[in-house]
Amino acid sequence: MTKKIKVLLSKLGLDVHNRGIITVAKMLSNAGMEVVYLGNALPEEIVSVAIQEDVDVVGVSSLGGAHLSLGSLLLKEAEDKGLKDRVAFLMGGVFGPSDGQRLREIGFDRVFLPGSTSEQIVSGIRGLV
Amino acid sequence: MEKQMKTTKEILHEKLSGQPRSPLYSPQALEAIRRTVGQWMNSTVRETDRNHWHKTPHTVLGSETPRELLYTPLSHPDLDYEQDLGNSGQAPFTRGIHANMYRGREFTMRQLTGFGSPEQTNERLRFMLDHGATGLNILFDLPTIQMYDSDDPFAVAQVGMSGVCVDSVEDMARLFKDVPLDEVTISIVTHYPSNTAILFPMFLALAEERGIPWENLRGSVQNDITLEELIRSGSEYIPPRDCFRIQCDNIEFIRKNVPKWNFITINGYNLREFGTSAITEMAVALSNGIEILDELVRRGYDVDSTADRLAFFWSTANDFFEEIARIRAVRRLWYKIVKYRFNAANPRAMLMRCHVQTSGVCLIQEEPRNNIIRAAYHALAAVLGGAQSLHVDSYDEAYSVPTEEAALLSLRTQQILQKETGVTDVVDPLGGSFFLEALTHDIEGRILDEMEEIERLGGYVKAIEGGQIYSKVASYFAEQQRLIENGEIALVGQNVYKSEVEGPPINVFRYPEGVEAEQKARLQKLRLNRDSDKVQSSLSALKDACLKGENILPYSVACARVRCTEGELFKVFKDAFGLWKPPALF
Repeated sequence: MTKKIKVLLSKLGLDVHNRGIITVAKMLSNAGMEVVYLGNALPEEIVSVAIQEDVDVVGVSSLGGAHLSLGSLLLKEAEDKGLKDRVAFLMGGVFGPSDGQRLREIGFDRVFLPGSTSEQIVSGIRGLV
Repeated sequence: MEKQMKTTKEILHEKLSGQPRSPLYSPQALEAIRRTVGQWMNSTVRETDRNHWHKTPHTVLGSETPRELLYTPLSHPDLDYEQDLGNSGQAPFTRGIHANMYRGREFTMRQLTGFGSPEQTNERLRFMLDHGATGLNILFDLPTIQMYDSDDPFAVAQVGMSGVCVDSVEDMARLFKDVPLDEVTISIVTHYPSNTAILFPMFLALAEERGIPWENLRGSVQNDITLEELIRSGSEYIPPRDCFRIQCDNIEFIRKNVPKWNFITINGYNLREFGTSAITEMAVALSNGIEILDELVRRGYDVDSTADRLAFFWSTANDFFEEIARIRAVRRLWYKIVKYRFNAANPRAMLMRCHVQTSGVCLIQEEPRNNIIRAAYHALAAVLGGAQSLHVDSYDEAYSVPTEEAALLSLRTQQILQKETGVTDVVDPLGGSFFLEALTHDIEGRILDEMEEIERLGGYVKAIEGGQIYSKVASYFAEQQRLIENGEIALVGQNVYKSEVEGPPINVFRYPEGVEAEQKARLQKLRLNRDSDKVQSSLSALKDACLKGENILPYSVACARVRCTEGELFKVFKDAFGLWKPPALF
């Protein structure tokens, strides 16, 4: 029996669109992962909860345009707290493939664009852990 | 809160079931049709079609109301022209709220605009006005909507991203520079009651400073509890009951002091986009409307002078005929509610005016140009349904805030409908269609049934507090996701007709940079240059009003005048009302 994959999910910043992340939370929990859903949070809080809960994966959602700006603050915070290499960071939300590419370049391990299926997300996470 | 013992459905049944009806179809005609349809069924229709006469459509945000293969007078046999349809501009207003509809006034082309600094948005506003936009629709950034100042830690990296930032009356002035406030109708998309009570007073203070009397201002605010307590995801919520009170304070104040202003846009759109069916969208909005009228009656206002400034906000999604039928159904139902539940006498108070925005959730990232076609159908449905104003979503919204090019294309979509297709020449062109009338009737009944569920819970605010509406939303969007993934909801380019060929790339809006630093510096200057004694005393007077149950608006206008910032007012609300934790959706 392998240990359950533990995932922390959060809305990044003040973004109000939480339908996607809740859908993903249910998806992952149906796939047998342990999900901690934080609601809206800023990078500092996300990283401190990730350390506290000892998660394998952090997934954040941004549909309000702050994916690059807040996303890089999140990775910087993770780096500073020594979490970046121990934990996989994912981002989903509304942005185009080119921003998806930039998110990968700044250090997100996986990026999910709109229209990603449960299967892609679940297997994507399993491939990282 | 005084609750009527009877539900709306019971009241309408009681008042309407006794009225004599004169059905369009005579019993003899129906009998003959029954025979011919029967023969046709048995001789011409294939057995599989006979056995699957009703088909349930699966569409994005649809209601899954079953459809017959062919509609005949038998589908809605007791249709009564006078009682169910009437002429346009006459009760029950199914066919439209004005006699001449778009011949008298075309639907207002009201495209949403807002990004970056007040100056940047001002430039786009004037671009839209120069290209024939007939109204403005202002969208704020997340910190502004969520009531944090641009220099609040919560606002970091989000200032000016998906809307324009406004912290004080001075930003309002920059936003509306050279815009004649008394000549254009302005929709201020405040979303929540709380921030309506903060931002609209800034707008009023600006009008004052420009010497424009409040009675000359025309436009609308959103001011809707649904947005603040249900759809929002935030860290700090005031309790639903207090939020509802602020919603009604806004209504009461604006009704008295800004007579031409629509003081609420009862929101269906955002709730549906968040995850409810075509039916729930309207049931929830009408329940809110009922609760508002109840409260205003309790405050001593009569329905005739209150309801005539109510407006609604609907979405139009993929199920084309359902969208048209819904708008007609809800117009008829709202009329019946105001007339029979509230005993109104003023016909203007019974009109369901609405702004429609095409669905954003229906737009997908695969082959984004296809979204142009989707949005055009959504827009056509809104027009055939008789909407008063319209926003067409842009094809690139599955990527970002629209570019100028995409925003112009949305405006052109509306202009082509108005100038080239002829669809606005005839009022309610689909009225009388066997299908559409049956569907309109069916949907009206379903909305009423869902309203009854809410009323049995003790009304709208109670249904939010108790979490029942939350669970409805959560189960609906989980089901939608399942239907999309198993292909029952077809999306061209995503799960059917997927293209192997990469289309040409589209331009994607670049979010403005540097707005945050600029805005922080401005706030710092503002705080240095204002009279801090006046600021403190205005804020504490506002807090007293919150605690005493007085209407808070006069106090927040006073705050706006002396340059209080949005975050300062929100803090007063949090201190006065405390915080509420909504039920977890996960």
